[in-house]
Amino acid sequence: MYLKELTELFGVSGYEKKVREYIREKIKGRVNLIEEDPLGNLIAMKKGRIDKRLLICAHMDEVGFMVSNIEDDGRLSIISIGGIDPRAIIGKKVIIGEKEIPGIIGFKAIHLQKDEIYEPPKMENIKVDIGVTKKSEAENKVKIGDFVAFSVESKSNERWFSGKALDDRCGCSILMDIIHRDIDLYYDTYFIFSVQEELGLRGAGVSAERIAPDLAIVIETTTSGDNPEFPSDRRSTELGKGPAITFAHSGYVVDERLFRWIIDVARENGIPYQIKRRTVGGTDARRIATTLAGIPSAVISIPARYIHSPMSIINLEDYSNTLKLVSILLTKEARL
Amino acid sequence: MIIADVLRSLSSTDGPSGYEYRVINLIEEEVKKIPDVSAEIDHLGNLIVKKGGQGKKIALFAHTDEIGFLLTKKESDNYWRFTTIGGIDPKAIISQRIKIYTRSGDIAWGIVGMLEPHLQTEETRRKVPSLDDLFLDVIDGQDRVDTGDIGVFSVEPFLLSDRYFTGKALDNRVSCATLLYTLELLNDFIPKAESYFVFNIREEDGSPGAKTVAYRLKPDLAIVLDVTHGDISVPSMPRIELGKGPALGVGPVIDYNYFEKLKGLAESISVNYQIEPLGGRSGTDTDLIQITRGGIPTLLVSLPLRYMHTPYEVVNIRDIEETARLLSYFVARGGE
Amino acid sequence: MKDLVRKLTEINSPSGRESRIREVILEELKNSIDGYEVDKLGNLIVWKNGKSDKKVLLDAHMDEIGVVSSFIDDKGFIRIEAIGGISAYNLIGSRITFPESGIEGVVGIEGETPQDVQKNLKELNFDKIFVDIGARSREEAEKLVPLGTFGVYSAEFVDLGRRIVSKAMDDRIGCAVLIETIKMSNPYYKLYGAFSVQEEMGLVGASVVAFNINPDFAIALDVTAWSDTPKGYKRMSIELGKGPAIKIKDNASISDRDIVERLRNVAEKNGIPYQIEILIFGGTDAAAIQRTSSGIPSGTLSIPCRYVHSPHEMIDIEDAENAVKLLKALVEEER
Repeated sequence: MYLKELTELFGVSGYEKKVREYIREKIKGRVNLIEEDPLGNLIAMKKGRIDKRLLICAHMDEVGFMVSNIEDDGRLSIISIGGIDPRAIIGKKVIIGEKEIPGIIGFKAIHLQKDEIYEPPKMENIKVDIGVTKKSEAENKVKIGDFVAFSVESKSNERWFSGKALDDRCGCSILMDIIHRDIDLYYDTYFIFSVQEELGLRGAGVSAERIAPDLAIVIETTTSGDNPEFPSDRRSTELGKGPAITFAHSGYVVDERLFRWIIDVARENGIPYQIKRRTVGGTDARRIATTLAGIPSAVISIPARYIHSPMSIINLEDYSNTLKLVSILLTKEARL
Repeated sequence: MIIADVLRSLSSTDGPSGYEYRVINLIEEEVKKIPDVSAEIDHLGNLIVKKGGQGKKIALFAHTDEIGFLLTKKESDNYWRFTTIGGIDPKAIISQRIKIYTRSGDIAWGIVGMLEPHLQTEETRRKVPSLDDLFLDVIDGQDRVDTGDIGVFSVEPFLLSDRYFTGKALDNRVSCATLLYTLELLNDFIPKAESYFVFNIREEDGSPGAKTVAYRLKPDLAIVLDVTHGDISVPSMPRIELGKGPALGVGPVIDYNYFEKLKGLAESISVNYQIEPLGGRSGTDTDLIQITRGGIPTLLVSLPLRYMHTPYEVVNIRDIEETARLLSYFVARGGE
Repeated sequence: MKDLVRKLTEINSPSGRESRIREVILEELKNSIDGYEVDKLGNLIVWKNGKSDKKVLLDAHMDEIGVVSSFIDDKGFIRIEAIGGISAYNLIGSRITFPESGIEGVVGIEGETPQDVQKNLKELNFDKIFVDIGARSREEAEKLVPLGTFGVYSAEFVDLGRRIVSKAMDDRIGCAVLIETIKMSNPYYKLYGAFSVQEEMGLVGASVVAFNINPDFAIALDVTAWSDTPKGYKRMSIELGKGPAIKIKDNASISDRDIVERLRNVAEKNGIPYQIEILIFGGTDAAAIQRTSSGIPSGTLSIPCRYVHSPHEMIDIEDAENAVKLLKALVEEER
């Protein structure tokens, strides 16, 4: 499991380099092929028993920001990359650019706020402080176009893991774990560590076009909603109930045959699982399915709390059950 | 080539999305004046001009379509309801004269009227009409117009001052003029690239034009020319100004390596440039081109423009000259 | 043709669960085609050879909008999510059928006080409604409608003479028109008929259906909205009974100019009534087909339809018959 290292690396959509280099380093020598495409997707392949192709993917990118302007007082204006709620970002430490310059997202003290105290902050009022007082000082350290990522230390015990970017470093970790095991793969299996999913599913489809697989499985980290403020009948998944299998989401109804096959395999092997209840949100499956002449796709997710914020949580049993399920699936022929 | 003259012809030629052929034909005529190039119009109506035969394949794109109108429903003898092609602020349509192309090719004229103040009430005076409140008064040609006829703003382009040019459709005719000028400048070089200058159709309705040409050409690098908002303050963004050169896009949809190269070249040949941060999709042809095929490295170069999508947009001719200079060098050096 | 439309609209096949409608369509066509295939996503593609080696693709989508069960509470009430653009407003007072379970349910609305109910009706969404299949416990409901069961409107076909009403007229009427066109034509071009999946989820099937065919041009057949009811959309002029609608533009695409002109010319030459359509919202499979690979000139021929996406969609049968006439003349034209 590579969650600690993966979640502490910085890989905002479009700036996935550090995550990609770490993964590449860890999997080389264990796969038959590694390459990178023009968008930065990392593609690794392990041969299987037959001559057909299965694509399994997880996205490397996380939501974050980009430096959009350097103000006269040396503070940085930022714009969002991916869907971040501005209410979740105040009082956080961030890291800027390749040089990893530290900064903080400060905010007006409560003492000084009057009516605004219950108003959601606007992105245009959010500035990053890197501890300088003049524009020229800031320009020596950072530039427009630098990524701005949350800097969060992960914490875990035997049951829980908390940190940033669990969406979708959990998926990346699962893929890495599978690569490291000696699984008797059925298909020639293409592991895609994709880019720019958070910006509208941009990376994985490109890889699918290049590889032209016969089928695809997307490993995601998904919403739960299992907290006391959210009605239980509107929850998406629950932590501790096992990997979540998707039947439909935004823009795509998962291939019915793959959906039923995954559930049957889980049942036959006594692996706890749940069916993802809500259909909101999308994954790379939509993009992959509509590539070339069509690629039947499925989605398996690890449930998480508070995704798209700087602090999320997963249940480690869900992680290991997801790994177990996917490992078994990859040894079999899909029932298509 | 006298830029102001070409810009004048381009602006006064009418070509809303889906009906660009007059503009395409005009550009084809202009291209005939340039030696050592070959041009073809593809099956969808895009004009593709090729120059040079060796080296990296670089494709430059400028969409040729403009915003426009469509007659949707006849209210009575001369009153017509209409809709827009592309996003147009209803405030910019009030009291305009619209030039209507009838099915037979004849021209008709309509006016979007504003009720005289004397007849207005307190309430109506404060309301800004929406498209549902507006109508076209077809004063000339009422028996010739029909549902589905297209219209454009009826506006004569002119030089506002010696450097500033104004007229309709400068989004994106200013980029078309820039590409034409770049082709002319390229004559002074033996380019180290196989370059394609694509004057594509239909950006305003989700770019099937640019994306499909990129699919066919499979370039090693795609450079999209479009316009961006100039001389206006946008929160969190650097102020982009007319006359200060092209705005180079930076962000996830831009290839960072090529961006650095282009920026470095601009500095070394003393071309003024500006930076435009793009936190996600750019809203231009760049977005779809980047994820075409197995992924294509993309750059976005934008000319600053005032009052976008109104009948009198404004550009600075110097920006056309500087942008063309930069691009001709860049292409000549094979994108290095 | 009415009987064909009745047969097709009575099938319950929401997006992602199209096997039944696909079987029925194939059964209808099997003696009129030179070949067929079912592609990777489940699109049904049939063809009929012509004299020329040019290819034309006509497309209609097989799926209909629906719902899916997402939660069952302790008392056996079922929460649902939308499949495609189905509005909670159209579900109030409607019945839902779950074809895989063979059971029907009634849609109810939450409200702890009369004021609550009024407020919920004003701001209705899927959180405030539920389906009641008459179960008296969670176990009973779960056995019949487990999590992830798809459902559709329960509403029969009604023949009002020239006007016919049913659920799923969108786009079974398009499928009917395509089936009749294929049966009745002696095409000049090689005629491909595509019955696409998951259009309501976002043109999923249509995004891939033309990839291997690579036709010279394509026309999608779908329903369009209407403006001829009391205080109907004032900026549109689409009326039932005025003929099939040749689409100029909708919110997802602009039809290829040449295709529009051609459809008009063929209609005029053959004395077939038609109207010109500009939709200020919406989209069809043409938007996806036109951007396949290096581009395919595409357009849409629409059947005007009232109350689209409600359980009771209404069309004029002559508009559909004229659409068939128009398409037949088009594909038989030697050009």
